[in-house]
Amino acid sequence: MNGPDAPETVVVIDDDNAMRLSCRKILTKMGFHAEAFEDGARGLEGVAELKPGMVVVDLKMPGLSGMEVISRVHEIDPQIVIVVITGYATIDTAVQAMKCGAYDFLPKPFSPDELRLIVNRGLERRRLALASERHEIERSMLKRRFVTFVSHQLRTPLVAIHQYLDVLRHLDQGADTQARRQEWLDRCLARIEELQSLIADWLTLARVEGGTLVQERVKVDLRQIIPDILKTYEPTAAAENVTLEAGLPDNGLCVCGDRNCLSVLFDNLITNAIKYNKPGGKVTVSGTLSSGEVVVGVADTGVGIPEKYRPFLFDEFFRVRDEGAKKTAGTGLGLHICKRIVSEMGGTIEVASEAGAGSTFWVRVPAWREPETAAGSQNDERQETNTDRR
Amino acid sequence: MSDKKRILIVDDDHDFAEAVGCFLEANGFAVWRAYDGAEGIRMAKLERPDLILMDIMMSERTEGFFAIQEIRRDPNLRSVPIFVLSSLCTHLPDFEIPSSGGWLAHDQFFAKPVNTAQLLEKIRQWLGKAA
Repeated sequence: MNGPDAPETVVVIDDDNAMRLSCRKILTKMGFHAEAFEDGARGLEGVAELKPGMVVVDLKMPGLSGMEVISRVHEIDPQIVIVVITGYATIDTAVQAMKCGAYDFLPKPFSPDELRLIVNRGLERRRLALASERHEIERSMLKRRFVTFVSHQLRTPLVAIHQYLDVLRHLDQGADTQARRQEWLDRCLARIEELQSLIADWLTLARVEGGTLVQERVKVDLRQIIPDILKTYEPTAAAENVTLEAGLPDNGLCVCGDRNCLSVLFDNLITNAIKYNKPGGKVTVSGTLSSGEVVVGVADTGVGIPEKYRPFLFDEFFRVRDEGAKKTAGTGLGLHICKRIVSEMGGTIEVASEAGAGSTFWVRVPAWREPETAAGSQNDERQETNTDRR
Repeated sequence: MSDKKRILIVDDDHDFAEAVGCFLEANGFAVWRAYDGAEGIRMAKLERPDLILMDIMMSERTEGFFAIQEIRRDPNLRSVPIFVLSSLCTHLPDFEIPSSGGWLAHDQFFAKPVNTAQLLEKIRQWLGKAA
């Protein structure tokens, strides 16, 4: 691959001239850069030079055998997808080739559609493999830098506080300074709060490193948890001129989970929705029960999340950095914790966002199912003890 | 007004930029603030400050190292003193920044939180040199 927009290169190695021509024609028409070679040795030179995403190779050729070509191609780059072309008589060899690392095989004669299908499938697989390799590298780098990262995150608010206090000490006592002092002290307090929530979030994660956040599996009614959280944040929202609304159904919105974790989950989502809202905006929490699943939406009317950031939203320490983020303190761990909680409960969390119109976080978790053995009349007493621990 | 020396602060922490900026303003400098590397590069080219204070660990791609390289590439800005202000002066091997190493094209290194009195002294020294 040469750059993200360059067409993918496919190399065809076949001693049959007609086969080379038609493969090249089909592949070129598909938008690929296709090159064909008549034997293994020349083909390998081509592979080394062109760095293709895929090699289509005839198994039965004079000179270097197809099998040999497969292993040499993978010496050049193990991520190159190899498809072997073979006659009916040599299906066994095709299987052998796949054991050697070929991705798939095409029995002769094949139609243009068969070639197109296999090429598209193979290249898709390559894209996925490359993406996951990249992801793996990123993860290991992140781990390596975790300590540096955390200490930087902890230090940043401390530095800001220190700097404010230090400068306040140096400034003269004019009227400007008086006004500034008040504002700066408020900012110092805000940064201390940020530090405290960072430590709390980090401890939450550290405590369960490798383990699980969700410790309990009991019946929890979200119609109790969500209104409680909304009530807690009523003053915060009012200060931001944001209205809070709940659209929850009358009957149970019960899930099987951990009360604390569920509180943390909705607490995070609701505070985010307030924080990233616009003055005069609204936060709406809706809930429905449908086909065994509880679906909760936390919607804000903020600026929305740019599409480029959405894939990383639930990553550790990821924060959207844009204008308007000036006064929003955050640890970059909140949504990551949300994702973990929801996953551990067997659910999903997704975001839908529209620039300028706001974002909605959708949480889907399996609904509570009454244990079949429980006697109906005793259900209420049994709820809290029915802990189906992992 | 026009004889004031002009300083550009590039730091993604608004509070830090605010505090240090006000301190410098109170000491007779004109201050510009940019909150990420890209904005810093843009402002440096536009305003041609006399000196730049640069944070290192900002948002990806536009972080300080990159911004310094970009600024140094501009012939007009090649000799503008750049002070690096960073809390990354740690002993962690990944990010050890030898303050006297010279491999990073900065002129002075300050660990955060910055000793403002020292910062002021160094700024005056460097700008005195340039004048």
